[in-house]
Amino acid sequence: MKSNRAPWYFYVIIIIGSVMMVFPFLDMIFSSFKSASEYALLKYRLLPEHFIFSNYRMAIEELQLLLLFKNSLIRSVSITLVVLITSSLAGYVLAKLRFPGKQVIFSFILSTMMFPAFLFFIPNYFITVHFPLVGGNDILGQGGEGGLAASMLGLIVPFSVSGFGIFLMRQFMISIEDAYLEAARIDGAKELRIFAQIVVPMTAPALATLAIFEFINSWNEFIWALLMNSVNSNLATLPVGIQMLKSAIDPTLTQPLVMAGLVIATIPILLLFIFLQKYYVRGMMNTGLK
Amino acid sequence: MRRFKFKRETLLAYSFLSPVLLFYLIFLMIPVVFSVLISFTDWGGFDFASMKWVGLKNYRTIFSSQSSFLNPIMTNTFVFAFGGVAISFIAALIISYLISRMRYEGLWRTLFFMPAVTTVVAIGNVWYYMYNPTNGLINGIITSLGFRSINFLDDPNHALLSITAVSGWMGIGSAVLLLSAGLKGIPNDYYEAAELEGAGHLRQYTKITFPLLKPTILFVLITSFIGGLQSFTLTMVMAKSGGPGNSTNVGALEMYNQAFSFGNWGVASAMAIILFFVIFIITMAQLLIFRKGGVESY
Repeated sequence: MKSNRAPWYFYVIIIIGSVMMVFPFLDMIFSSFKSASEYALLKYRLLPEHFIFSNYRMAIEELQLLLLFKNSLIRSVSITLVVLITSSLAGYVLAKLRFPGKQVIFSFILSTMMFPAFLFFIPNYFITVHFPLVGGNDILGQGGEGGLAASMLGLIVPFSVSGFGIFLMRQFMISIEDAYLEAARIDGAKELRIFAQIVVPMTAPALATLAIFEFINSWNEFIWALLMNSVNSNLATLPVGIQMLKSAIDPTLTQPLVMAGLVIATIPILLLFIFLQKYYVRGMMNTGLK
Repeated sequence: MRRFKFKRETLLAYSFLSPVLLFYLIFLMIPVVFSVLISFTDWGGFDFASMKWVGLKNYRTIFSSQSSFLNPIMTNTFVFAFGGVAISFIAALIISYLISRMRYEGLWRTLFFMPAVTTVVAIGNVWYYMYNPTNGLINGIITSLGFRSINFLDDPNHALLSITAVSGWMGIGSAVLLLSAGLKGIPNDYYEAAELEGAGHLRQYTKITFPLLKPTILFVLITSFIGGLQSFTLTMVMAKSGGPGNSTNVGALEMYNQAFSFGNWGVASAMAIILFFVIFIITMAQLLIFRKGGVESY
């Protein structure tokens, strides 16, 4: 029924548009297999003359790609898990419990989403590096090797709560029937058990949405990771490591390595998105922005 | 008994909320106060002893006539935000309508959405190479059509627009997604009736689609314009500190560089606060336009 409506030129326009979207990705993938001599050509070519894999081998060695990958993975998995926990705890409280101050706290959490990220880079950088009693800091935050930034905590802790996540979980939990919770309470179940064994399983779809959304966003995050890397170079994630390499040496020499690194940094996440896009898209619709 | 239960529930609520509230205290409320404070000082971010109170000096410096913050940097910021929104919005308006009438809508939407789930470092670098004047794709096309190759990123006359175009390209997918959701809310009967009356695609669009899509359109415009005003990662990846000269520099990037390249935390914080108010005022103005236009839901 739908297809009858679309005249042929609809398809022409959309196919041209799609090519413009996909082409940079193809260019990235094909370039990663080109040899250095092909990069020196004075003319553009999409396909490599011979597919060579040495760029990947060199990227793994020179870029320490495996370390970057590991850092990105630890960071994204940790942020995702912590955000799931903090969001569902707070979402449950705001959806299902009655207590003084509830409206104020809910409005406050909504308003946190209005604050732009750039406002926090400077103060949070200072707070993270001078966090008391971590990374060798004393109680006044002095004397250590970078506070939270002395370890992976610097990449994780400042992202451990998400206003959007709390809002999403609260909206979802509001639709859970109070009768389920009341029945469990009458049976004498403890609140923490009600939360863990009744509420959390019922919110699985919302948790999936939040998980994939947080995972992709923290995988791609760049500025904060760059700042943490300036304190402690062991904390480089994939985007940071690749960008540092690009600005470090002669661009014509590094381009093949950058391309190979970018393929490793982007293709797994694109595949993840394609398989789980139903959940990601739901997250997008709920915020309306990224 | 009742009173006891009420207290227990309150205690439970606040213990569940405590990690979240503590987080917001440390990473949101203290930082906002701290930022305002820093903006009145001369400070390099080391120890508090080296912090010097200078009153409004940083703000006066930013607004002084020698300062590059208002022009070209804030002008660039608006060009970048406005240009990026214009490109992605117009493209998305057409694309979302076309694919809503086509087969495989999900497939097309996924293709347009790919840049939105890709790190800006990848997008910026790949386009940087595509803009290359000798062996980049775009100049390859331009020269094969018989024109002279363009120095997209090294020429101050082209650099800002070249980066803005990439930002527009990146933003198409999110706008398509939101507009598609809006289009789904328009009943098919309307189109069928219009078709029976003999209305063509263009007429159907202007008489049915556009008016009913208005709330979504306004929402997309506001959110992406605000996003554009604060964005600087793409500029950083493609043009480092906003060069050549200041030709691509934007507000948030200048703030970042003042703080973390030059160690002027006071000036940088003042810039952050000015930029925040600019965005805040624009958001409020747009919300007001929303209400006037009869859109209550946002």
